[in-house]
Amino acid sequence: MRLVFIASAAAIALAAPAAAQIETEIPPPSETAQGEVSVTIYNNDLALVQDTRRLDVSAGRSRQEFPDVSAQIRPETVTLTGDGIGIVEQNFDFDLLSPQALMQKAVGETVTLVRTNPATGAQTRERARVLAANGGVVLQIGERIEVLRDDGLPVRVIFDRVPAGLRARPTLSVTVESQRGGRRPLTLTYLTPGLGWSADYVALFDEANGRMDVQGWVTLTNNSGTPYNNAEVLLVAGSVGGDRGGARSYGARRAAPGVIREAGTESADRERLGDYYLYPLPERTTIANRQTKQVSFLSVAGAPARRAYEYRNAWLHSADDPESVDTVLRFSSSRDQGLGDALPAGTVRVYQRDARGNPQFVGESPIDHTPMGSDIGLTTGQAFDVKVQPTVERRERVSSGRWRTTMRYVLTNASGEPVTVDLVQGGLWGDTRIVEQSQPSERRSADEAVWHVAVPANGEASLTATFDTRF
Amino acid sequence: MRPSRLPRHCRASGDPASPLARAGSPGRHGRPRGAIWLALALLVVAAPSLARTIVASAAPDRVAVTIYRDPNRPADRAPNLSFLSGYALVSETRRITLPAGESEIRFEGVAEGILPQSAIISGLGDGVIERNRDAYLLSPGTLIERSLGHRVHLRRTMAATGEVREEEAVIRSGADGALVLQTAAGIEALRCSGLNETIVYDEVPPGLSARPTLSVRARADAPLTATVTLSYLASGFDWRADYVAHVSEDGEAVDLFAWLTLANTDTTSFPDADTQAVAGRLNRADRRVPPAEARPINLDCWPADTTSDLPEEQRQDIVVTGSRIAAERAYAMAPPPPPPPAAPDAAMVATQEELGDVKLYRIPEPVTIAANSQKQVAFLARPRVAVRFVYRQTVAPVARGAPAPARRVMVARNRTADGLGVPLPAGSLVLFDGRGGRPILVGAGTIDDHAVGEDVEIGLGAATGVTSMLRVVGAGKRDRDFELVVTNDRPVPVHFEASLAGGEVRGASARLSRRDGMPLWTVTIPANGRATLTYSLPPLS
Repeated sequence: MRLVFIASAAAIALAAPAAAQIETEIPPPSETAQGEVSVTIYNNDLALVQDTRRLDVSAGRSRQEFPDVSAQIRPETVTLTGDGIGIVEQNFDFDLLSPQALMQKAVGETVTLVRTNPATGAQTRERARVLAANGGVVLQIGERIEVLRDDGLPVRVIFDRVPAGLRARPTLSVTVESQRGGRRPLTLTYLTPGLGWSADYVALFDEANGRMDVQGWVTLTNNSGTPYNNAEVLLVAGSVGGDRGGARSYGARRAAPGVIREAGTESADRERLGDYYLYPLPERTTIANRQTKQVSFLSVAGAPARRAYEYRNAWLHSADDPESVDTVLRFSSSRDQGLGDALPAGTVRVYQRDARGNPQFVGESPIDHTPMGSDIGLTTGQAFDVKVQPTVERRERVSSGRWRTTMRYVLTNASGEPVTVDLVQGGLWGDTRIVEQSQPSERRSADEAVWHVAVPANGEASLTATFDTRF
Repeated sequence: MRPSRLPRHCRASGDPASPLARAGSPGRHGRPRGAIWLALALLVVAAPSLARTIVASAAPDRVAVTIYRDPNRPADRAPNLSFLSGYALVSETRRITLPAGESEIRFEGVAEGILPQSAIISGLGDGVIERNRDAYLLSPGTLIERSLGHRVHLRRTMAATGEVREEEAVIRSGADGALVLQTAAGIEALRCSGLNETIVYDEVPPGLSARPTLSVRARADAPLTATVTLSYLASGFDWRADYVAHVSEDGEAVDLFAWLTLANTDTTSFPDADTQAVAGRLNRADRRVPPAEARPINLDCWPADTTSDLPEEQRQDIVVTGSRIAAERAYAMAPPPPPPPAAPDAAMVATQEELGDVKLYRIPEPVTIAANSQKQVAFLARPRVAVRFVYRQTVAPVARGAPAPARRVMVARNRTADGLGVPLPAGSLVLFDGRGGRPILVGAGTIDDHAVGEDVEIGLGAATGVTSMLRVVGAGKRDRDFELVVTNDRPVPVHFEASLAGGEVRGASARLSRRDGMPLWTVTIPANGRATLTYSLPPLS
């Protein structure tokens, strides 16, 4: 009987064309069906893709497929427009071709099994009907029922065709109705996550002259799974969406000063639409998948900048050891006295030249979208040489509802240059009064008082203040 | 619809796949065909469950699908295409021919997520005896389970010689754990031998189907052909609306377009279905469908790991391009923008009907609701809907060190006079502005169900140039004094509204109105300017 099988297998092998050409409609990955692409990228992992393709549309109803769209496309945002066409329906099919799906869809169908004899290597072919594919594949072969590969022997399953509806990748198709036939441009617009950008600033600070040079770079990333070929790229500074109602819009964040000390009201000399500043790339470019691209967008030389030292003490806080003060780079984004541009959100990295003239990294800080004309304080780190030790010296009850608290702040400076520290005492809620102080203060708000304390080079300064409070 | 006296897989119909239909096809093991017929005849006599006729109806002739939303999904969340929690009402009609006597009608091709309790079958008169959903599926494990005590064949392949030997065996244990067989040699356990061995069955035991199947036992006095309607609820569907708005040239209106976005993750496709979607909240009790049982035997090998399981390499190219954006402010040199796309033009628009307390959207032509797919059909296209764009903020009396961006909100009245006046089902909205030459997405938000006459407010995102900063300027026994400074970096005046939280406001430097119970400061911030409000709140208790 074995001989018969081998003979029949040989006959099948002979009958099949030796080098059968596999015919396929799937184009190689190097080709793209994209047309003229323009991509608008936002800061919050979102991009608007506009893709104009020249397609042959027949008169009446026809179904157009759109391969090579973003792999992460948000299909519900697709819009197709074109001359003389109306949309009947849009479909996004994600019934994908996989071994499981292939077998599931073959239930009730007939497939070919090729068994390989483990000892002789002889192959036998037979037709089998798939009865079920639940946790294992049950087959009917002739009048017998068996489970596929249950005995661990090699069996190839050959399907006659790919079942209708199973696709290589999620497919977007649009059924259109057209008055007339012919080739014409159709514009496909959709949103996709996976593309994003942020700004990166390189600030070279010249402390001696109180100046800094700033270069701004746009860093653009594509993790959408799809390349965009020869695309016109527009970057939009800002986020769209993400609004969840008013409840969160003014939440309590840290009370410490942020980067923007005073928001500006100047309009930068850039292209703008509504709230958004637009940064078009100067020429068409290809954004490959998993690519990071950087383009310069800002270059300012000699903008005024200064270093400031800031320290904020919480109410009734005593420190056992002196604490380093914050190093803050103060500058402005205004036209007259600053960078003269709006700053899209990103990271500012600050460099300073060492004794040999080589730039060294001295700290970085993220910034939000910053309008032009803003007053900016960028905390880049903590000072090594400048420290403050706050102490609650005395706290006594002066009446049933009043307390008197005396604070001493010892400021030290181990550097060879005199410095001025902006020392802030916070937590002055209620009708707090400063009864006595060793130098005048500025009440920045009801909550905070600030002293500008000069500390001599390699020296020390001391500040005392007495507060009259209800708590 | 195929009346038959045999389980489906060995029906002697004209099915070319059936080996019985192939004249002269040699049995794999060389048994004469006469023996097969004899065996089958014995089987028919022996099996008691075949006393009634099995009438299998393969697919519906007509189907209608009405999709309902997931009642627990908030309006601001999109349906999760890998796990849809909405549901659908599927109504299908089938022509079924019943012989006289008792028969079992098997409805094949129903949705996998069918809720069998919800099935309504009409058209069979009072002939229905009972309805069943059989979820004991044909699988390697259930084959063993149901073949307990039956005679099967044990096939062994010798690895060294390739010789195949078959012998008869009787299954003596269930499918849990090892499989114990009685052979001519005695009692043995399958695959404890180290040999390549498997069981070959003569037939599929009755009552096992490839997929969950709804069946009806019915009795007819005489042969009859009936049009049977089957309606049931099925899980694995959801829908929502997706609105696309384009700002008009004057900035005071939008052209509004909306899609019904229907999604189906069932494995069943519904070709040419009359399709509807229902908006509104309907109560649903939590009814669970017992999952179908399909046991594998311990060997779970096909599909096995393949080349497609290799992890994708996470590698990035970094390209630094030396060109400058808008170098020397030369943005005028940007390439000419492509023409702005007009709103899409719909050739088929779903119509809206009233249905009790909910809204029903009907797609006018039959469409195919394919397995694992999402479909969009237009349901609304309104030119020039009057809107206002405002900047809004709720200001809590919390000291902050940094300015907070305002929310951008689009406000419309849902009435005919303003160009709208239609029910708006919940969904997402994207807003485009093409006035700068190229269309730019300027806002994205979500909207809950809105009836006619309601105010519609859609948050579009945070503004970067309109910010406010609150300072505490004084605090005494009787009040806390605040200063709110709002700045505008745009070269046009903007409309700003602040709701002041934190208690009764006193001594405000401007007239306040009230909205939603909170004092409201409404102000127009001049172009590239600022506005200031000072006010007091009662002290914290």
